Amino acid sequence: MNKLRAFWIRLFNTLRGMPGDDFADELEAHLAMDIEQGVREGLSREEARRRALIRFGGIAQAHDAYGERRGLPGLESMLRDLRYSVRTLARNRLVTAVAILSIGLGIGSNTTIFSLVSRFVLRPAPVGDPGTLLSLHIMHDNDRCCNQFPWPVFSDVRAQANVFSDAAAYYDLLPASIGGGAEPERVWGQGVTPNFFQVAELPMVLGTGFSDSDDKTPVVVLSERLWRRRFNSDKGIAGKTVALSGHSFTVTGIAPADFHSIDQIINAEFWVPLGMTPQLAASLPPHDSREYHWLSVIGRVRPGVSRKDVTAQLNTIADRLGASYPATDKGNHFVFEQAGSLPPFIRSTTLLFLSALSIVVLLLLAIAGFNVANLLFAQALNRQREMAVRLALGATRGRLLRLVLLESLLLGLGGGALGVLLSLWSTAALSSLRLPAPIPLNLHVNIDGRTLAYTFVLSVLCGLLLGLAPAWAAARPRVAHALKGEAGFAAAGRWFSARNVLVVAQVAMALVLLAVTGLFLRSLESASEISLGFRTQGLMLLSVDPRLNGYSPAKISAFLAQLRERAAALPGVDAAVTTDVALLSGGNRSDGFTISGHSAKGDPSTLADLYMVTPGYFDALGTPMLAGSDFSRETANGPRVAVVNKVFADRLFGGANPIGQRIEGGSWTYRIIGVVGNAKSRTLGEDTRPILYRSLDQSITDDPSMMGYTLIVHTRGDPKGLAAALRHEVYRLDPAMAVYNLETMEEHVRAAYVLPHVAATLFGVFGAIGLVLATVGLYGVMSFAVTRRTREIGIRMAMGAQPAAVLRLVLRRGMALTFTALALGWPAAWMLAKVASSFLYGISPHDAVTFTLVPIALALVALVAAWIPARRAAGINPTQALRME
Amino acid sequence: MGDKADVWQGTLALMVLRTLETMGPQHGYGLARRIEQTSGDALALNYGTLYPALLKLEQEGSIRSRWGSSENNRRAKFYELTKAGQRRLREAANEWKQTTEILARFLSDSSKA
Repeated sequence: MNKLRAFWIRLFNTLRGMPGDDFADELEAHLAMDIEQGVREGLSREEARRRALIRFGGIAQAHDAYGERRGLPGLESMLRDLRYSVRTLARNRLVTAVAILSIGLGIGSNTTIFSLVSRFVLRPAPVGDPGTLLSLHIMHDNDRCCNQFPWPVFSDVRAQANVFSDAAAYYDLLPASIGGGAEPERVWGQGVTPNFFQVAELPMVLGTGFSDSDDKTPVVVLSERLWRRRFNSDKGIAGKTVALSGHSFTVTGIAPADFHSIDQIINAEFWVPLGMTPQLAASLPPHDSREYHWLSVIGRVRPGVSRKDVTAQLNTIADRLGASYPATDKGNHFVFEQAGSLPPFIRSTTLLFLSALSIVVLLLLAIAGFNVANLLFAQALNRQREMAVRLALGATRGRLLRLVLLESLLLGLGGGALGVLLSLWSTAALSSLRLPAPIPLNLHVNIDGRTLAYTFVLSVLCGLLLGLAPAWAAARPRVAHALKGEAGFAAAGRWFSARNVLVVAQVAMALVLLAVTGLFLRSLESASEISLGFRTQGLMLLSVDPRLNGYSPAKISAFLAQLRERAAALPGVDAAVTTDVALLSGGNRSDGFTISGHSAKGDPSTLADLYMVTPGYFDALGTPMLAGSDFSRETANGPRVAVVNKVFADRLFGGANPIGQRIEGGSWTYRIIGVVGNAKSRTLGEDTRPILYRSLDQSITDDPSMMGYTLIVHTRGDPKGLAAALRHEVYRLDPAMAVYNLETMEEHVRAAYVLPHVAATLFGVFGAIGLVLATVGLYGVMSFAVTRRTREIGIRMAMGAQPAAVLRLVLRRGMALTFTALALGWPAAWMLAKVASSFLYGISPHDAVTFTLVPIALALVALVAAWIPARRAAGINPTQALRME
Repeated sequence: MGDKADVWQGTLALMVLRTLETMGPQHGYGLARRIEQTSGDALALNYGTLYPALLKLEQEGSIRSRWGSSENNRRAKFYELTKAGQRRLREAANEWKQTTEILARFLSDSSKA
């Protein structure tokens, strides 16, 4: 306690700048009293004074000791050094600015990428005590991870697993149209067991949420975001009813705004009891089936139970279930991870992408760091005289070291601050991207506390590492030489000097960085040349989901027909067709197909994406009809017909004519009536997928679309102009119908390009920064070497060396460094390219163009960077050079 | 002077506190003289070291100071014990008593180990 009190007083004194004190007065009084005493004892005044001073033992020392005790001497000298460092940095404004800018770019890139890592990998789910909430999955032996749960399996686990205090299940995507107030809107929610919010330990912002008996009650919990947006933050909303897809639900709670979903990716805005989901979802699997895997499951681990216990018990349960239900459960076991981790099906891809990015930005930071280290190193050599003076005056080398390290630390922190500013901007840009997916995703990224902490550590580390080389150089001048103004340290001819090693490393890393950048730029180029298989111009898209408004399949069909008719009648429109989901929406229904009567093992089979279309679809989209004919007037109950794409026909029939053949898949038989050209189905980068187009009217009853239906309208004019008119036509047919995805095909496809585009932009930016930094680094080293060797070159020239020979001398040195670097960097780039391969569109990871052009380009840039100082060297006037020192 | 003992590390504070307890408020010079006298002139107190020690005690809250006038009407800074200082003195005195008793037992002739 006492010590702490003293510390605060001393800290306060230090920070106040140690104002004058009364110790001098006290001292004077002390001496005066001592002298008086001496005089009283019979000494002369002089003698009394002398003795008093001896007894006191050094006025100056007492002052020092007193002063040290008043404040905190260590802190004081630190503050003094800090002030000095700031002054030094301010004096060398250019060096400081370049250094902070370099580090800022390096750290900004790292902060940006780390914010992605933090958001998608490290952030726990926004639930209570996320460490004990697990997401469970079913994995079949030797199968890829992972599957969801059938209802009975969930009930069994919930009843039998006492490692969990409770478990909840949810159906993760439930569309609904929500009315009331503004225009009807399609929103997405989830169907949950009533204990969902208790298991997740998510308290309501308002209201009470669900109670255990609510499974079949029409109640709903709204997200705080939806509540603000559509209900104006109505405090009295609990107990009121809202209409979801035409059904009334009573609001019982508002869930906190930062909760989107357990997996943190899907953006759900309402939750209804699982028992009520049949009202909102068209065809839910039966509750009693152990075959349909449709529920996500979370479990709350009991306190004190370890992950090992959980694994053991789940294995036991899996074995027991496998024995009881061999037909369905044999070979299944359970896997789990902390809730809120990346969903298993995208985990490895995401981790790979983030690691590739992390490697690249660390390289970038290293290049920037080497650059700044070189800069500081040069500066330190120029400051050897200053350092020598300080040493001669009695400064310890430790103190000098501290001074230099403090400077570089300040640079590191300055760079870090700049980096945070840059990444604020870049994460905002990343957050505004829209991914090509038919479902609502929450991909917002921001700079969180974790990212800030990471940036701070990185800045400090960077600052300390940067300072090492110059600190070493600065604290080791040979005093006598340096005082005379001689460069006591730099030996110009040394090959393995620290500076050369730095610049080689830098250029090598730049090569790696540029190779990866080159790959992604080539990938973007090749992506833009990918043939989509359909036209993008002149098309307007509009989606509705009449099912959400309680329409029967027949009524939906009629509604869509009416809408087509009205759209076609709009001026300028020459085609109006309907499909379920537009191509390139990221994913769709798919089924396995075989030729009728040939479904044995070994017979040709294929997985195909299914699309519902109406007659005229292929004309409207410009997809070529290769054989047979388009749909015409198929009756809903007539024999099912299909049009397949070329790769589908090739897979099942090889060279034979598929027209008229019967195929089976998804419990229906189709007769093939036509073959059309291939088209990209889900993503740009995919290998061409087999597609089966079926008649919308024939499919809508048995297999309705979960994603709604999309009207596609073609016009010769600007499709944008049709937006308002099309929306108006929908409202004229049904004012309660929610309209979504109203966009031109070009806009729709642009979203599909977002991934190659983002990758190319990120890597392009990083690569450009790296190239500039490495070039500046090489130039700096060469130019510095020439300055240092001015005298030597002067002598050479006085001895008869020709300017051309001097030029070659310097160039040779620069190029030797460059080629060493290229020889080191090339294999590293070759290896790293493999990591990037899964993100490249239409080019090999060892793309010949990239791996030839990048080293050549880099060598050329290096040549220029060495040329400029070489020219200067060749222009040296020997007489002047010799007189210079 | 040569045969006088130096002030042991950490004991000066205790001497100051004890002296202030017996004498009441006192200025630095008076304290220094009194400590020397109490020790029977066996201690060589460097007066200059007294003041940092006083400052430390003051920062730690064991004593407080104010300016006043001495017996000769000279302005001087007077130090006095605080409540916390009295507590600290009692604790430290007890510790010393124990330490010296233990040491004394070791050093007495009767108990040769």
